Amino acid sequence: MQNVRIWFSKTGAVKYISHLDLTRCMARALKLSGLPVWYTQGFNPRIYMTFAMPLSLGVSGLRECVDIRLTEETGLEDAARRLSAYLPADITVLGLTQPELGFEEAAYGEYELRLEAEHPEALAAELQELLAGETVTVMKHGKKGDKAVDIKPYFSLMEWRTEPGWLVLDVKLPCSLNGSVNPNLLLEALKTLRCLEPYGEITRKRLLTKDFSDMR
Amino acid sequence: MEMYPKEVEKLLLKVQKPGRYVGGETHAVVKDKSQVDVRFAFCFPDIYEIGMSHLGIRILYGAFNQVPYFWCERVFAPWVDMERQMKERGIPLYALESGDPVKEFDFIGFTLQYELSYTNVLNMLRLAGIPLRSADRPELFNIVVGGGPCACNPEPLADFFDLFFLGDGEEVDLEVMELYRQCKKEGAGKQEFLRRAAQVEGVYVPSLYEVEYHEDGTVKSCTPKEGAPAKVRKRSVENMDTAYFPESFPVPLIEVVHDRISVEVLRGCIRGCRFCQAGFLYRPFREKSIDTIDRQCRALCASSGYDEISLSSLSTSDYSCLNELLDRLHTWTEKEKVSLSLPSLRVDNFSPELMTRVNSVRKSGLTFAPEAGSQRMRDVINKNVTREELLHTVNIAFTEGWTRIKLYFMIGLPTETADDVAAIVDLGNQVVDAFFENKEKPRGKAVEVSLSAAAFVPKPFTPFQWFGQDTMEELAQKQQLLKTTKRSRRVSVSYHGAQTSFLEAVFARGDRRLCAVLEKAVEYGLHFDGWDDCFDFDQWMEAFAACGLDPAFYANRTRGFDEVFPWDHLDYGIRKEFLAEECRRAYQAQTTPNCREKCSACGAACFKGGLCVAERKDMV
Repeated sequence: MQNVRIWFSKTGAVKYISHLDLTRCMARALKLSGLPVWYTQGFNPRIYMTFAMPLSLGVSGLRECVDIRLTEETGLEDAARRLSAYLPADITVLGLTQPELGFEEAAYGEYELRLEAEHPEALAAELQELLAGETVTVMKHGKKGDKAVDIKPYFSLMEWRTEPGWLVLDVKLPCSLNGSVNPNLLLEALKTLRCLEPYGEITRKRLLTKDFSDMR
Repeated sequence: MEMYPKEVEKLLLKVQKPGRYVGGETHAVVKDKSQVDVRFAFCFPDIYEIGMSHLGIRILYGAFNQVPYFWCERVFAPWVDMERQMKERGIPLYALESGDPVKEFDFIGFTLQYELSYTNVLNMLRLAGIPLRSADRPELFNIVVGGGPCACNPEPLADFFDLFFLGDGEEVDLEVMELYRQCKKEGAGKQEFLRRAAQVEGVYVPSLYEVEYHEDGTVKSCTPKEGAPAKVRKRSVENMDTAYFPESFPVPLIEVVHDRISVEVLRGCIRGCRFCQAGFLYRPFREKSIDTIDRQCRALCASSGYDEISLSSLSTSDYSCLNELLDRLHTWTEKEKVSLSLPSLRVDNFSPELMTRVNSVRKSGLTFAPEAGSQRMRDVINKNVTREELLHTVNIAFTEGWTRIKLYFMIGLPTETADDVAAIVDLGNQVVDAFFENKEKPRGKAVEVSLSAAAFVPKPFTPFQWFGQDTMEELAQKQQLLKTTKRSRRVSVSYHGAQTSFLEAVFARGDRRLCAVLEKAVEYGLHFDGWDDCFDFDQWMEAFAACGLDPAFYANRTRGFDEVFPWDHLDYGIRKEFLAEECRRAYQAQTTPNCREKCSACGAACFKGGLCVAERKDMV
């Protein structure tokens, strides 16, 4: 049995499908690829797949991963090629590797938030003002109802730059099996506390370990 | 490579399930629009998840796109949240493959699956910015066409559509697209195109018929003009083995209602249940060969990655070599971890062997449709299923470990009495009794029998097309009766909306005067009438009142055998006299044998296909 980690990106139209839909899509592609994937041994056998960290609906991912098992020794480059052929155009296989770290090692996600603004500097000023408050409390919608969260500590180390028409923010947020901070909360804060609703595009560029090195 | 319009991007996160609106599926067909001659927007007047589950769209999408110079794209009705956003931002309805506005398409084609989708049809035209009435679209462009079961009486839509396809679409649709291409080349106008299209078998051009009414509102005459045929005969694909069937289809990225492969194993139905429109519209009964089905199943598995195949048809257990077919498929499906399912089972075809070979239902529940409670009533509707067969079947199910049985019924059937309605509950009680008497029943599990009763809607081209539907008050009384008839604690009863059934009955047998009502309804903002959260009965009644029409005239009036129907100029091969004879037999509770037992000379033999012309070895 060979443990294999599939690295892929999820962008474009496919960023609008849920995590559950992504798993179905990946399962169909694995089935079509003809790779010797291992099935769970239950009453309803399914292709064994575990994803590292689900992406929120609408968030692009540039370096996501999912683990599978192969029942026969298989060349990983060839396997990557075979799988690629059956995935939708907006899911790109970056490569297949032997997993080096368990998913419990994932600690942060590196995000880019692109906020549309006619005057990016003015929006940046608004953001700085927002984060200058003692706390920045937003309601987080969860399965068990809404919960107040102070997002200030998470976004205080954010870096920002401007491009014509855009304010671009780079931020590392907790993203682990023990809990994650959704970058959307910043947009939620802008909306509820500053009455600003800029259009935003969010991308998770990669997953990081607790010492900020790449997941591998 | 997002194809959806750039402006859409900004509102996708403001709506539920944005995956409905982005396309990008594997096997979605994207062509270079500068290289195609005819663009067809295939519109399904309901949401993505329902439309993408529909087999017809998969077949026709494949058939059209096979032709290099045709490009067919998909369009679904945006759900109310998306519609609001699109309207606010002035984004017109667009097609999923190219993201181009529907307004830029040569053909705008709707599949007409149920009457309650008519407001969605008009609403989609509105969202596309296309004039609703055919007369307001003078150019040879934006040709609005329709097909599907409701095209058998498309009169309530007659003013909006340029033409309808009657019957099987695989061939006739392409012929009309070809004709359009030809007319474009020749520089012919729309009127010329329509005149020529009307000469194609299976094409109905409503504007070429003049309808006159009697003072009482019934149809006096329907007169063709400009050389259109007096009777338009439906198209029928003669040979299902050579008929086009796709080897791939766009595989939805989000979960849809039927997330699986669907392979049609036969078309038509031998049964002749008198309430069932499909049973008459799709005659003759035509089967595919095992080789064909096997090949199509393999091809679709190899292209889609799905692990379930539904062997679909109106009544798959009537496939003449079902066991051999399953044997053949099992030679590879198990190895490939693909499961087979049958969409519906007849009470009289259920066997434990069959159940172990298909995974038609989860172990949790089994569904059957006896349709009526009393034997007399089942004879009236020609269901040809007995109480004994039902009890035999549920006993097998209990022995095999099932404990939840769901039974479907109709109320408001012709000649129905209070006793017939009470018999529905009684049948439920008998199923419970059968459980307790069954010695091999599963231990430690309670039996649950749920009875579901829908209100009967009389449809054109059935023996009940003359029948006045029960009024909503009568239906409410019968529902009350269902609720109050003494029943076992293990039996539950449910029924749904008499109001939607009433509206369905109005449009099923409506005439052209209803076009005004539909237009009014859409003006009022009515849409998604099949969805409880959108259906607004009072608004509908206002729309009828505003047009000076009485909906009861269409729904509740019993017609005389000599009445001219709004759909009498449309010919589905079934003789009106045969339907009248079946109606008379129904009222005498006389059954009619199925097509395999004995030909009843319905008229469908004119299509020279399937069972109508097959050699009947077992018949003398």
